[in-house]
Amino acid sequence: MYNIYYTENSQLNEFADRLRSKFKVFSAAVRPANFTKETDYSYKTLDKAESIVFNPYRAVEPLKSFFTHPQEKASEYFVPDEKIIPLGRTVIFGVKSCDIAGHKIQDFVFLEGVEVDSLYRIKRENTILVSSDCTDFKQVCHCLAWDILPHPTWGFDLNLSPLNDGFVVEVGSARGEELVKGYKEYFIPAKDTQISGCRQKRENLISRLKKHLLPQNLVRKDSVQRLMKDGYNLDTWQQFMLTCVECGGCNFICDTCHCFLLADKKKQPQNLKVKVWDSCQYANYARVAGGANPLKMRAQRLRFRFTKKFDFFVDNLGIPACCGCGRCIEVCPGKIDLREVLKDLAKKLKG
Amino acid sequence: MNNIYRPTEAVLEDIILESPTIKTFIIRPKEPFEFKTGQFIELTLPGIGEAPFTPSSDPNIKDKIDVTIMNVGRVTSLLHNSTKNISLGIRGPYGKGYPLDKFEGKDILVVGGGVGLAPLRSLLFSLFAQLDRYNKVVLRYGARTPTDIIYKDSIPQWAKKKKVDIVTTVDVGEPGWKGNVGLVTTILKDMPVDLKKAISVVCGPPIMMKFVTLKLLELGFAPKDIYLSMEKNMSCGLGKCGHCRLGRYYTCKDGPVFTYEELKDIHDIWD
Repeated sequence: MYNIYYTENSQLNEFADRLRSKFKVFSAAVRPANFTKETDYSYKTLDKAESIVFNPYRAVEPLKSFFTHPQEKASEYFVPDEKIIPLGRTVIFGVKSCDIAGHKIQDFVFLEGVEVDSLYRIKRENTILVSSDCTDFKQVCHCLAWDILPHPTWGFDLNLSPLNDGFVVEVGSARGEELVKGYKEYFIPAKDTQISGCRQKRENLISRLKKHLLPQNLVRKDSVQRLMKDGYNLDTWQQFMLTCVECGGCNFICDTCHCFLLADKKKQPQNLKVKVWDSCQYANYARVAGGANPLKMRAQRLRFRFTKKFDFFVDNLGIPACCGCGRCIEVCPGKIDLREVLKDLAKKLKG
Repeated sequence: MNNIYRPTEAVLEDIILESPTIKTFIIRPKEPFEFKTGQFIELTLPGIGEAPFTPSSDPNIKDKIDVTIMNVGRVTSLLHNSTKNISLGIRGPYGKGYPLDKFEGKDILVVGGGVGLAPLRSLLFSLFAQLDRYNKVVLRYGARTPTDIIYKDSIPQWAKKKKVDIVTTVDVGEPGWKGNVGLVTTILKDMPVDLKKAISVVCGPPIMMKFVTLKLLELGFAPKDIYLSMEKNMSCGLGKCGHCRLGRYYTCKDGPVFTYEELKDIHDIWD
């Protein structure tokens, strides 16, 4: 167990400001109001003397956008002793529990398996995650449906729980402990009353979120793989794809989606191999040379996205690849709601 | 740190015309590059694009790799139009090859369709190199027309080997063709194989693999004894990019060779 500290708002801001000399520091910032009338938050670089903005729920961007990019260099032709140059170190404030849970999928894909993706690993090793408890939720939030709590319990370096005019700071890793020790003037051991104060706030949010989710009657985590297997031939896929415009937004905004194409790019003096995000909702995603395409129809592609999340990852990692952040629901111009797709399958299989 | 996406440079040393649409490209990697039969590689035109292929050469030859390619897409058509001595990129090898140790002492039925004979040629070379380890090798090969048959000069040579039995067929004959006419499934009868100790290896277009698999099951082959080479659009080759997912597997790292036993409960495997 690591220690638990307390820091005041002003101290946290000074701490973050001082970190800027050694790290690139990101924090949440309020975005201009959008049509949902909910305030949205986005990550931005923390400028000199700028205060940390506490985001009560997750940012618009998925955490993966710090580790993989829409397009990035993978290699050069031909550099036999090509080295991967370590990048600068980064601290991200404002990461939420769903982000951490979703990011487990990215870690599984890029850090495990037959080979380790060193591009990803270097970024991961050079990034410190300062997460924080949710104190509110968006309409689309449904982490609890996947047994993910709205406050991080693992996977962070430091976690901030807001209390009065400051934060209870939980340390989650040796790296986090080291960071606190390096700036110990900003942290004092937390009192038991402060710790229990935070617990109370957490409990309050959980019961509010439960109340929000209960009438939605969401499918249960342990039933979802069965839905994929038994619902493979249902007309749900056909029905929900009707409004799909094949934009790929659901994939790109998803914290667990990881598909990319290893493409080529002409460049002087050396041609490049690039990793480009790809979407299984694109018509050519699975097409092979000669024209055969196992995912010709939009309904097949919608089903492919779901079976990847709720069947493949349950088989291969033991968990579904959804963290209940609801980003795919918000982003979809066709208003395709992942919760509704699952509920429709469940309803049809029951009836 | 090792970059898993880095291509190795290779020189295109020679090009052999196999049929009007198929050529064999002989490449010489500039760094040591070894593969096991049945594993695949990604072959790249630097700056243009890459595609997955299973080498068709003997894995025991370490300095050169043959890749037999049909002109069907963007990368393959550019390859077909290129000249000798250009520089290519190669990544891999990827996936699991044919499990030769499981074939020991067996009657090995190899069924190929069209350019699907390419990866099988690599397998045949491996089998021929140690024929005493296996009971016999039976090849059944079908092409669209006599002109489309690949490795035309080699097939009669292979047929002369002891313990090797070969029958070929074409879907549509041509004037002067005296051989069999009919789909490859029509020559899967009265074969000199002992089902009690036989395994089969199938490679060809998906529709051919489907009907051959059904035929083999009908003949009494167990699903675990039917080895299939699955065709998917592998991109990274390492189980990371997502493209070649087949149910709970990635074709690139869990295959490309699967037994029918592994695939039989997965939907739409032949699409």
